[in-house]
Amino acid sequence: MNIIIQYYRKVELFFGNLKFAVFIILLFAASLAYGTFMESYHGTEYANRLIYKSLWFMGIQFAMFLSILFATLIRLPFKKHLAGFYVIHAGLITLFLGSYVTYHSGVDGTMTLNPNLPAREIQLNEDEFKIQFPSKGKEVTIALPYGAFEKELGYEYEGIRINKFLPFAENEQGWIPVKVEDKTQSSTQYLLYNDNFSEKLTLSLHPQSDFNNTQRLGPLNVHYMPETLLGCFDDNTQDGLIIWNGETSGCMSPGPSDIRKLKSINGREVIEVSFEGRQIRFLPTMSPLPLDDKMELNELSPFRIFSKKMFETAPHLFLFGKNAAFFNKENQKWESHASIQKDIELPWMGFKVSVLEHRSDAYPTMVPVYTKPIQDNSQVIKGNLKAVEVEIEGQRFWVNSLEPVAYNKNGERVTFELSKKQLLLPYEIVLDQFKMDTDPGTNNPASYESFVTLFKGNEGSTKHRVFMNNPLKYKDFTFYQASYFQTNEGPFGSVLSVNFDPGRFWKYLGSLLLVLGSIWHFVIRKRPHLKPGEASA
Amino acid sequence: MLNILLLISLLSGSLWAQSSLNFCTKDLETFPTLSGGREKPLFVLATETLKYITGETKVGDLSSTEAFCKLSLKAFGMPLDLPINVKVEHVEVRKSLGMGPDQTSVPVGELIQKRDIITRELAKIKENNSFKKELNKVQGRLQTYDAIVSARAWNIPITQDGKIQFIPLSEFITEQRIAGAQGKGSNPIEFLFREAKDSYLKIKGEHYLIELNYFKWNLFTWSLLLSILAIMFFIITKNKIPGIVLTTLSIAFQITAMSMRVMISGRAPITNMYETVMFSGFGALIISIVIFFMRKEILFVVAGLAFNVLSLMMMKFANGMLDEGISPLVPVLRDNFWLSTHVTTVILSYAALALSWILANSLLIRSRFRTVSSNDYKYEVDLIYTSIKFGVVLLSAGVILGGVWADYSWGRFWGWDPKETWSLIVLLIYMAILHGKYTTWIPAHRFVPLVAGAFMSVMMAWFGVNYILASGLHSYGFSEGGAVFLGSFFAIQILILVSCMKKRTAA
Repeated sequence: MNIIIQYYRKVELFFGNLKFAVFIILLFAASLAYGTFMESYHGTEYANRLIYKSLWFMGIQFAMFLSILFATLIRLPFKKHLAGFYVIHAGLITLFLGSYVTYHSGVDGTMTLNPNLPAREIQLNEDEFKIQFPSKGKEVTIALPYGAFEKELGYEYEGIRINKFLPFAENEQGWIPVKVEDKTQSSTQYLLYNDNFSEKLTLSLHPQSDFNNTQRLGPLNVHYMPETLLGCFDDNTQDGLIIWNGETSGCMSPGPSDIRKLKSINGREVIEVSFEGRQIRFLPTMSPLPLDDKMELNELSPFRIFSKKMFETAPHLFLFGKNAAFFNKENQKWESHASIQKDIELPWMGFKVSVLEHRSDAYPTMVPVYTKPIQDNSQVIKGNLKAVEVEIEGQRFWVNSLEPVAYNKNGERVTFELSKKQLLLPYEIVLDQFKMDTDPGTNNPASYESFVTLFKGNEGSTKHRVFMNNPLKYKDFTFYQASYFQTNEGPFGSVLSVNFDPGRFWKYLGSLLLVLGSIWHFVIRKRPHLKPGEASA
Repeated sequence: MLNILLLISLLSGSLWAQSSLNFCTKDLETFPTLSGGREKPLFVLATETLKYITGETKVGDLSSTEAFCKLSLKAFGMPLDLPINVKVEHVEVRKSLGMGPDQTSVPVGELIQKRDIITRELAKIKENNSFKKELNKVQGRLQTYDAIVSARAWNIPITQDGKIQFIPLSEFITEQRIAGAQGKGSNPIEFLFREAKDSYLKIKGEHYLIELNYFKWNLFTWSLLLSILAIMFFIITKNKIPGIVLTTLSIAFQITAMSMRVMISGRAPITNMYETVMFSGFGALIISIVIFFMRKEILFVVAGLAFNVLSLMMMKFANGMLDEGISPLVPVLRDNFWLSTHVTTVILSYAALALSWILANSLLIRSRFRTVSSNDYKYEVDLIYTSIKFGVVLLSAGVILGGVWADYSWGRFWGWDPKETWSLIVLLIYMAILHGKYTTWIPAHRFVPLVAGAFMSVMMAWFGVNYILASGLHSYGFSEGGAVFLGSFFAIQILILVSCMKKRTAA
């Protein structure tokens, strides 16, 4: 027993020591200061994950709690002149306990209300990863860690491995090797620039690439085509027609002798061309697709036709790997440039194009890479993406927070989704109208207001107005006007912040004790003041 | 919009020119207008706008109102050439606009020619750095100028269904209105404006004119002089009466000015940086007097006056950092009892801590240059301790009220918002000093420099959060007013600490 008491005295002396108090207060203050700078540079979520909601920060707060608790215990039994001190420290202990209750069982989330659509989902801050097997009607949910950095997960379920989670990421372009090289599925990165502007262009013919084979840059259209097609752009035929086979990438520019003009159907001209030993029919003014035997467009055919003339009015740039072709309006001629080593001058606004990288052994795609988020003007401008790496049968791929991914696992469809954790309310809220008033003569918002209907099941429904400083309170939950957005259809949607705080009473009680105690301790309590020229005892 | 031909057809050219010359007088200062979401006298709009564009409140010999009026008439073809020079503050921006590094402004005509340079530079820079911010400002000044000379900046009251509505001058002067006013006075334009003003006065009264007096009386400048004189009298003479009279007068002026501000804005005077500086200076003086009555020590009042003078000087001279204009609040800050209580308490606590800062620095510097007797030193440490006590009690209450406000407005008691967090950091730092005072770590000779230095945390919470943290990663290039001010403050304070520390180690 004595040993226990001795041991307790040691603990009490350590934590109840004033020097420990000074140390832990300063440590706490330093962490907070660090937190505010991190928040300023990297945004609120990063600061929360790195500091405010991290384990070590909880540890510091717990040490503060111990310091306050033992500082009080060590000064017992009750001494009258310390009454203010006891009240202050009891207030702090209550405050800490109240905060812990909130942390442990409180709810702090947001609710997005689309106009006239019932909602009952509260979005929380934590992320989760869902694996769904629609055919089995099964769903697995994995809670993702609330940390600031990349985290290896090593979770496995029915041959599906969840490798890692990136809480902050940015899509960056990477190259993925192909198993069998195919020259007709090449990809190229170009730099398009003039004196005031430069842009990297990544174009690909590979079906699994995230990049397309066409891109628009203002008025300029860029088309990326198999290299074998370049030759057909060089031929200057009367109709400017080019026919090609998407499978073999073979092409031809039929001259007048190659074309047989047939009767028109519905007043449109049908032509028949002999290409790769076959007779193929087209409606060249209507569609690039050939016609089948029933004179209907054949979408399955690999053959395509188009007329160069269509690309002579607006700026179109055709790129074929290291080659380029375009129509020069000045001399009214098609120009082609084979294997560009030097930058090619284009006939539009002094633009030039150069090849940065050309590959057919790999295809370009977007890969999420961990990035510390960057905040600018109170907005996170980089690192907004979250991503999880999944591995099935040796194949790795990423699922990001923007959209779910479906995967075919031995004929079974599996979907993956990375999203915020949700909480379902036992009642529904419908946004009837969102109203925003502005200051007279300006566009500055003066007030936001949501008119909502609360559907309580058997208890019927009630109408409410939620605006700044006038929340809706219903069954422990409080709904505050937080934000708004404009829907595609036009009317405004509203975002409410939703809150349930079981520690509220204790926090208010602790606060009250703290303030009363401070006044008692510092102001009311008679302390002999020094007079000028008088030394303290 | 009308052009000169239309006006000539209505008035003879010479009559128009003459009438407009007569028209743009100082009498228009009291003309009611609407700007930035608030009704105010034209004088205030004209002065604020000209100051924003040129940095000056006059154009040559013309008062702001006269110049604003004449510029607005340009929209109707008046051939006027006022020497408007647009302010350009950033050296790099000056360079990109072809100005000399010391050339502080550029004639507006010249700047309009260079508009495409601004647009191009703005499109080029992706980062939101100080260069881009200043370019945006210059563009904003140019747009404001455009708005004036196209008669869109000046809103005129008209009565519609018994209510006052405001329409831009460009829409107000129509052929129909002028024709209708023909023959009703010596000059139809003057008649229309008199009619507009009278109809406004009939419905809304003269409340808006308080703002005119508020800006014209310059009560804060007078308080500044009074407070400086009061300090001088307290220091020079043993007789306390002149000092007390001057202090009382200064307080009366400040209360009057703040009351007017409250009447104009209809809210507590603590909602932007300018107002917190104003309120802290006033609060420090009041708290110092309260403590004076408790401790019978005039040094407190002198410290209070000193901080009062510092804050009034900031209000007068730090225009780049503190905007004295009165503008409407963002929704969350409106009608909010808890916010007002919270900010008032926190600002008062900063005021009390400012007293400790002034007393500590003064003791620090005095003991560096002459010997302060041990008893006097201890006595003054005790005075510093008294002001910290006030500061700490008020700050604890303020931080907690901040929680109450957050709970009331956002539904969470504490959200680690940087402003709230920094007010907690300040409290923690002073708590560490107060706790440390009972250990061997902080004897009296360390207590004084620590208290002097601890005020840097107050400055960080007060200004740093807004001017350094809120501006984000790319923009704290220490080129903007607030950051320069704060940086200089820290540098000077650290210099004082270091130079006064040396003496002690040598002794």
